[in-house]
Amino acid sequence: MILTLKNTFEEVGNATLFAKQFFKEVFIPPYETRQFLKQCYIIGYKSLPLVAITGFIMGLVLTMQSRPTLVKFGAESWLPGMVALSLIREIAPVITALICAGKISSGIGAELGSMKVTEQIDAMEVSAINPYNYLVVTRILACTLMVPILVFFADAIGIMGGYVGVNIHGDVNFRRYLTQIIQSLEFLDLIPATIKTFFFGFFIGMIGCYKGFNAANGTESVGRAANSAVVTASLTIFIIDMIAVQITDLFF
Amino acid sequence: MDKQSGYTWKLGMFVTIGLLLFIIAIYFIGKQKNLFGSTFNITSQFKTVSGLEVGNNVRFSGINIGTVEEIRLINDSSVVVSMVIKDEVREFIKTDARASIGSDGLMGDKVLTISPGVKSTKVIENGGAIASVNGIEMNDIMKSVKKSVDNAGIITEELAIFSHSMNNGNGALARLVRDDKMANSVSNTLSNLESGTKGFSENMEAAKSNFLLKGYFKKKEKEKEKKQEELKEKKEEQKEKAEKAQKEKEEKAKEQKEKEEKQKEEDAKKAEAEKKEAADKAKK
Repeated sequence: MILTLKNTFEEVGNATLFAKQFFKEVFIPPYETRQFLKQCYIIGYKSLPLVAITGFIMGLVLTMQSRPTLVKFGAESWLPGMVALSLIREIAPVITALICAGKISSGIGAELGSMKVTEQIDAMEVSAINPYNYLVVTRILACTLMVPILVFFADAIGIMGGYVGVNIHGDVNFRRYLTQIIQSLEFLDLIPATIKTFFFGFFIGMIGCYKGFNAANGTESVGRAANSAVVTASLTIFIIDMIAVQITDLFF
Repeated sequence: MDKQSGYTWKLGMFVTIGLLLFIIAIYFIGKQKNLFGSTFNITSQFKTVSGLEVGNNVRFSGINIGTVEEIRLINDSSVVVSMVIKDEVREFIKTDARASIGSDGLMGDKVLTISPGVKSTKVIENGGAIASVNGIEMNDIMKSVKKSVDNAGIITEELAIFSHSMNNGNGALARLVRDDKMANSVSNTLSNLESGTKGFSENMEAAKSNFLLKGYFKKKEKEKEKKQEELKEKKEEQKEKAEKAQKEKEEKAKEQKEKEEKQKEEDAKKAEAEKKEAADKAKK
C-alpha cells in the first residue's frame, strides 16, 4: 500500500522533472525547426479529419438532444445559442483533447517507446544529438500549439453541425442562426476555453513523451507505454478541465 | 526540399484557417459588445434600475443600438446608467429623448429602451444626459392589486350584510321575498291596478265620443293616416325598384348562359374537327 503510494508519487515527481526539463530546453538553441514543423503537420493536419467528423457529430447530436427540453419550455429560439455556448465552452475542447489523447499521445508514446527499446535514443546521445531537444521538445511544442487550432476547427464545424440539427425540425436561415449564436457569446466564453486548450495540448504531448521516453526494455513495454499514455492523458484532461472551470468560475 | 514543401503548405493552410476562425469569432463577439467601430456615450438617471445589468442591450425603436456600460449609485435615491451607443444612430437621438427600463419577454433580460421625444430637433452630444421614465415596478402592481382586493373585501362584506338582512330582517323587501302573505297582497294590488286601468281606458273611450273633445281626437287620427299612407307609398316605390333590379340581373344571367353554351358548342365542334383531322392524318 505504502509502496504503491510511494511509486505514484515518484511517477509524479519524475513527470514534473520531465516537464521542467522541457521548459529549460525549449529556449535553448539549437532549435529543431524542421522537425517541429513536421510534428505540427502530423499532429495538426493529420488529426483534422478525425476532429472535424467528431465536431460535426457533436454539434448535430447536441442540438437534437437538447431540442425536446427547450421545446417543452417554449424556448426553441435559444437552441442555437445554447448549443454554441456548450460547444465552445466545454464540449469541443474536451472532446478534441480526448481524441488527440487517443491519437497523438498513444502515437508519441509508441514511437518514443520503440525508439527507446531499440536503443535509438541512446544512439542519438552517442552521436552528440540532444534527443530531448530533437524528440521531446518539438513534439510537446507542436501539441501545445496545434491542439488549440484543432479546437477552433471543432468549434466551427460543430456549429455547422448544429445548424444542420436545427434545420431538421425547424427552418432557420443561416444568417439568423449565426446572429443568434454571436448574440449569446461573450469573450468570457471564448477566452478561458481557449487558454484551457493550450494546457490540454501541453499535457497530451508531455505525457505521451514521458511515457515513451521512460519505457522499460522489452517489446511489451512499448504497448504498455502507449496504453498508459492514453489513459493518463485522458484522465489529466478531465482534471485540468475541472480546475480550469473552477478558476474561471472563481474570477468571473 | 520538395518533400518538405509538400507538407508545409498544408500545415500553413491548416494554421491560417484555424487562426482566422478564432479571429473572426473574436471580431464578431467584439462587434456585438461594441468594442470596434465608433461609438458615443450618454447617461441617464433613474430612481431604480430594476435589475438592469452591465452589458444589457440598449434599444431605440426596437433596434439594438448599444449596451449598458456602467451602473453607478450617486446617492440613496438615484442611479446613473451610462451606455455606449453606435455613432450611426446618434443623429436620430434628440436631446428630449427618454430612457426607460423594460424586460425582453416574460423571463428575458432587462432592456434599456430609448424612446424619441417630440419637440426637440437638437441632436444629442457625446456624454449628454437624457431624461428617464420610471418603469412599472412589481411593487406598484402589487400595491394597486392590494387596493382592488381591499375594495373587493369591503364589497363582499356589505353584500353579506345585505343578504343577511334580506333573510332575517323585517324590511319591506325582505318581507316581499320571504312572506307569502306579503306576496299575495302585492299580487292583489297589482290585479286591482289592472282592473283600475281598464276602467280608465273605458273612460277615455267615453271622452272621445263626447262632442266637446271629438274635434281634437279626429285631428289626431287624420294625421296618423296621412303618415301611414306616405310610408306605404315609399315602401311600394322601393319594392318596384328592387323588382326592376332583379329582373335586369336575371336577364343578364340568361344572356351569359346562352353565350357560354354557344361557346361550348363551338369548342366541341372545333375539338371534333381537330380529332377528325388528326384521324385523317393518321390514316394517311
